[in-house]
Amino acid sequence: MKTASTVAAAILAFGIAACGGPSPEAEVEANAEAPAVEVAEEMVLYTTNYPLAYFAERIGGDRVRVEFPVPAGVDPAYWTPSPEEVSAYQGADLILLNGAGYEGWVAKTSLPESKLVNTSSGFEDLYVVAEDAVVHTHGPEGEHEHENVAFTTWLDPELAIEQARAIRDALAERLPGAEADLQAGIEALEADLMAIDARIEAWATALGGQAVLASHPVYQYLARRYELNLRTVHFEPGEVPTPSGWRDLAALMQGHAADWMLWEANPLDETRQRLASDYGVGSVVFAPTGNRPASGDYMDAMRANVAALEALPAS
Amino acid sequence: MTDTLYLAWRYLAFHRVKTAILVAAITLIVFLPVGLRVIVNQSSRQLTARAEATPLVIGAKGSPTELTLNTLYFSSDVPARTTYAVASEVTATDLARAIPMYVRFRVQGQPIVGTTLEYFEFRGLELAAGRQIAVLGEAVLGSRAAEMLGVGPGDYVVSSPESVFDIAGVYPLRMPVVGVLDFSDSADDDAVFVDVKTAWVIEGLGHGHQDLSRPEAAAGVLRREGNVVVGNAAVMQFNEITPDNIDSFHFHGDLSGFPLTAVVVVPPDQRSSALLQGRYQTSETNQVVSPSEVMDKLLGTILTVEKFVIAGAVTVGMATLATAFLVFALSLRLRRRERETLFKIGGSRTAVATVMASEIVAVLAVGVLSALVLTFLTQRYGDVIIRALIR
Repeated sequence: MKTASTVAAAILAFGIAACGGPSPEAEVEANAEAPAVEVAEEMVLYTTNYPLAYFAERIGGDRVRVEFPVPAGVDPAYWTPSPEEVSAYQGADLILLNGAGYEGWVAKTSLPESKLVNTSSGFEDLYVVAEDAVVHTHGPEGEHEHENVAFTTWLDPELAIEQARAIRDALAERLPGAEADLQAGIEALEADLMAIDARIEAWATALGGQAVLASHPVYQYLARRYELNLRTVHFEPGEVPTPSGWRDLAALMQGHAADWMLWEANPLDETRQRLASDYGVGSVVFAPTGNRPASGDYMDAMRANVAALEALPAS
Repeated sequence: MTDTLYLAWRYLAFHRVKTAILVAAITLIVFLPVGLRVIVNQSSRQLTARAEATPLVIGAKGSPTELTLNTLYFSSDVPARTTYAVASEVTATDLARAIPMYVRFRVQGQPIVGTTLEYFEFRGLELAAGRQIAVLGEAVLGSRAAEMLGVGPGDYVVSSPESVFDIAGVYPLRMPVVGVLDFSDSADDDAVFVDVKTAWVIEGLGHGHQDLSRPEAAAGVLRREGNVVVGNAAVMQFNEITPDNIDSFHFHGDLSGFPLTAVVVVPPDQRSSALLQGRYQTSETNQVVSPSEVMDKLLGTILTVEKFVIAGAVTVGMATLATAFLVFALSLRLRRRERETLFKIGGSRTAVATVMASEIVAVLAVGVLSALVLTFLTQRYGDVIIRALIR
């Protein structure tokens, strides 16, 4: 019996030795012998809208490669990536989110949470909640509301700066030694954004509470920042409003006699003319720039927006 | 010598039942203590290795063993639920990485592990085929799960109802398999991995259905009260998430209140680990456990039991050995006339003694050899048996 146990133990010991890999100590030694090679790779950032891509490029400079995969002409807020595009996001070093419910697709995909940076999480208490949320109820859970939070946060330059700072912080955490460059990048960006802010502020002050219309509910943060007396209809730039849309506008204008309507893009001539002739409302384009502009960059687009506002004749 | 061995072999072959019983007895005498030792060694090694690779686990107050076994080995005993808020809390502390785990559902006996992509990185799991989970509703399978279910990338798996009579509860979700993991020789090989949000969809906390505000869903609308649309039982819900209906999927309520069975916590250093343990030690609803400590306790119990079992096996073995000795002795006595006959027909006393001794040695040798084969098989397949027992 003793002999049998010994033989079995020997087989067992052999089996364990055969199944086991190199010892941790051996691995440590092997690693210690390997030459320490430090390769300065650029950090790959994926963003969900163009403003964040622009901010990241300005702040990170050459240290980052910014990818914004939403096709031109598509509103990133309503874009859904393919599984392959989600895989590309998964491979990024950092994924910059706008937050405020902007990228609804994120909740329906698998992204590594440690790489997600919600750039607006620092001011969630400042989110603007839409008033036209639809509630549906069924099943044992009862009523639940699909709350609509306004998501074009960057249209308030102060909030845009907060988002840019969130990007700076995330980069600083992952790029040790780059703090000075990142700080220089964000200071230049902040100066540009504050210059835009000052010009809109001056325009809004001159406007002085005069009624303004918006063709679409995307200017909530702009309106709040500059205390605009803004009311919204649901007109699409590329479509002629329906009869009920015109009726809604007429009803709205009963108590809100505006001279101007802000558009995300140039409206159709037919719409523009009818607005002017029937309602006395002029059209002005203030592009939210959620996607990359056809020409120029974010700051060019914002300067064009401000110039369009400043060019409006006084009422 | 060959003649002697032939005579011994013929005797054993003629009394095959008695020989088989003796061989079985010798086999068990040797195998029981040795095999048990192998099993215990293997289980200790397995349990300790995976536990040591998992720094901390946070879960709802309850049995630490149940929490640890469910989190590490996806055992079917589901611990009390904690919430997703715990994972967010841990992340917000910046003291550790938090990996949410929701291990409650099954696909034909294989555990569905709801987690995040960080889990794969944490365990060092690599894809053997296909791609990683990208969209809600997709599944990536461990190598053994794929083999057991007979599926690969492009096929589908369906979550199993928790109970035949659970009509109003968890409804089956059909999930496309998008990837299969490399063999990792761990419990991960048996799992069906999904995003934690998919696990919540299986639970019914998130679902997709017709847009009740659209005319084609009129049959599913009970009444409209301003902005509130009340659905009836006819609202068509989807049991598969496809590119066409994924936009209709949504979650009810605040995700931070959604259930988890555990949060795997990976602190970068001892200090962060100590700080986190301190925070949760005073929690009234949650507990933080160190899986290696839980496993040490469990192994302590196993080793105590092992000692009793081995003591019992040795006692039984000695009794069996005594019985075998008695059988041999009685057999020799009964075969006195046979020995005399062999002697009378010319066999020397040495040759006759060699025949008898060969029979005994052959029985002992075959018994010991069988025990060694069993020990080898235990060594080879013990881990599979242990994992099956844990599940």
